[in-house]
Amino acid sequence: MTDLVRYRALVQAFAARDFSTRYRSSALGWLWSLLQPLASLLVYAAVFSLVFRIQAPPLGSDAARTSFAAFLFTGMVTWNAFSGILTLNIAQLRSNADLLRKVSFPAWAPLLGSSIGQLFQIGLEVLVLMGMFIFLLNVGLSWILMPFILLAVVLFAQGVALMLSIANAHFGDVQYIVTVVLGALYFLTPILYPLAMVQDSVPWMYGVVLANPMTWFVEPMHMVMYSLEFPPWWVVPALLAFGAVVFYLGLRVFNRYSEDLGEIL
Amino acid sequence: MSDYSISVRDVRKKFKRHLDRRSTLKETLVRGRSRNLQEFWALNGVSLDIPRGSMFGVIGHNGSGKSTLLKIMAGIYRPTSGSVSIDGRLSALIELGAGFHPEMTGRENIRLNGSILGLSKSEINQTMERIIEFAGLREFIDDPVKHYSSGMTVRLGFSVAVHLDPDVLLVDEVLAVGDEEFQRKCFDHLSYLRKRGTTIVLVSHGLGQIESLCDEVAWLDHGELQATGQASKVISSYLTHVNTEESLHRPRLVAEREESATQPDGADARPIEIMSVQITDEQGTALDHAETGQTFYVRLALDVKERFLGPNVRISFQHETGPLVAMVGNHRLGVDLGWLEGRHTVEMGLTDNPLLPGRYIMHVDVFDHTGARLVDSWADAVEFAIRSQRGEMGQGFIDLQASYRVDP
Repeated sequence: MTDLVRYRALVQAFAARDFSTRYRSSALGWLWSLLQPLASLLVYAAVFSLVFRIQAPPLGSDAARTSFAAFLFTGMVTWNAFSGILTLNIAQLRSNADLLRKVSFPAWAPLLGSSIGQLFQIGLEVLVLMGMFIFLLNVGLSWILMPFILLAVVLFAQGVALMLSIANAHFGDVQYIVTVVLGALYFLTPILYPLAMVQDSVPWMYGVVLANPMTWFVEPMHMVMYSLEFPPWWVVPALLAFGAVVFYLGLRVFNRYSEDLGEIL
Repeated sequence: MSDYSISVRDVRKKFKRHLDRRSTLKETLVRGRSRNLQEFWALNGVSLDIPRGSMFGVIGHNGSGKSTLLKIMAGIYRPTSGSVSIDGRLSALIELGAGFHPEMTGRENIRLNGSILGLSKSEINQTMERIIEFAGLREFIDDPVKHYSSGMTVRLGFSVAVHLDPDVLLVDEVLAVGDEEFQRKCFDHLSYLRKRGTTIVLVSHGLGQIESLCDEVAWLDHGELQATGQASKVISSYLTHVNTEESLHRPRLVAEREESATQPDGADARPIEIMSVQITDEQGTALDHAETGQTFYVRLALDVKERFLGPNVRISFQHETGPLVAMVGNHRLGVDLGWLEGRHTVEMGLTDNPLLPGRYIMHVDVFDHTGARLVDSWADAVEFAIRSQRGEMGQGFIDLQASYRVDP
């Protein structure tokens, strides 16, 4: 843990590298950070609200109105925070293999660096989400819990990413498995549909969705941002504690299995 | 504070070589852990004490464990057993420019590389100008590194690494790159660092470099320490070892021509055929290599099928890198071989061989007495080595003797 403080300059340097090189050779640059999620929002919103006719729950500010797009984007922002960090991290060790074989430095530094770069992306999406709700005149005091839920997601994602990336350094298959599992998990999280809908129609699947940790983050997010309700007092502290524990475990596992990284890669 | 800045205590390093490398999960799950392992000791009980502020060389043939030792000192590998203690801030040049990002500019890469090597932000800012100056890249520093030539990348890498102000600097074979001028600059900077008390460990194949720079040298062979001590002594015993090893393993330099090669391919048989070529000493004993500065002999066996007058026997030496270095024939020297018939041995003495160490290829040509008609030719007849007991002797092909005079 003290290492985290000691090597913060190094983490910052990696963050700067990822951040500055991400869109360097593209004409639209960082605008892609916005265009990508907005494009998938458009597609999903069209298909699921027009074709499948999924009804979003009533908005917190006005029970007579609903907005499927806003409901969907709330879940997507939470999900993207998780999957963005995971996908960015998982290949980092292999793409930095050249460096890790030749210089001695903590191998988690490039991982945390790329995650910090991803925070910018998360922040941008959150701004768009807030803009959407302001446009819908759906603003409430419960919003103050949003940053804490996001922080918990980020900690959780980073912990998982640390464990999976070291596994990927040993076994190159892990990154492919992760892609498949992420694809399935997306539909097992109440992002494209309200949780109540599964509860009513497919009871066995309801259990699966509830057991999915991402549901634990997405549901409170829906509450505070969309329904403008406060979850029970213990929910957000519990999520933060959960995220912190997973992060700590991730670091432990990572350090335990990264000792001979210079030889493995 | 001890007198040594690096102490290596009985370090052993075992590498496993997976003959059937399993890096996918399926293979590990399906077939269990690989049984087809081959283990070998890259280092087998090495102990060294490197004095503070010294320049220390590590020599040995390829695969002797030099680089493994350096990587263990640098903390990239863990020793299987034993320990290494380093006193002070360490910087290692295992590969110059490792970790440069092609899309980033030189300046951005200096920041990144500096922090990877352990510099703080303010330290990087302080040394930024000196790094750019030393690398000589001022006009390109804000261009992406992908547009740099390999020489420029190396210069930038070296410049970052040496400006870290390390207490201990490990250098692995990286100075072999870059142009002559930059190499000189690097060595000057290493000397400067050392004057300021930096301990430098140099791994190199350039024995001349090592001898002129290092106080002490360690010689590794198959992961074991063969000798350590004063540079010139260790290097000369290493050279003796290498020379005897090679003479044991290398066949004598006698080239016999294959039967088929001697068959005439045209309508008329060749009047003279070169049968064999060998390199010998004055007594006619075959040698396995020649030495710079010492006379050696080239003996050709000729089969003269019909009485033949005054042929020109010419040999040429080509360096392994391509250039034709020298050519000598008896006509040019004004030597007439007279009438020949039957089997003859022609011996050429090459007085005080001026060719510098390296590998050379010898070609043999025989012309008639007019010098216009090629009677027989044997390209690539012999490839042989020229060595020197005096260590490295500079660049080029010829050991040029020169006298100097200074006018007042």
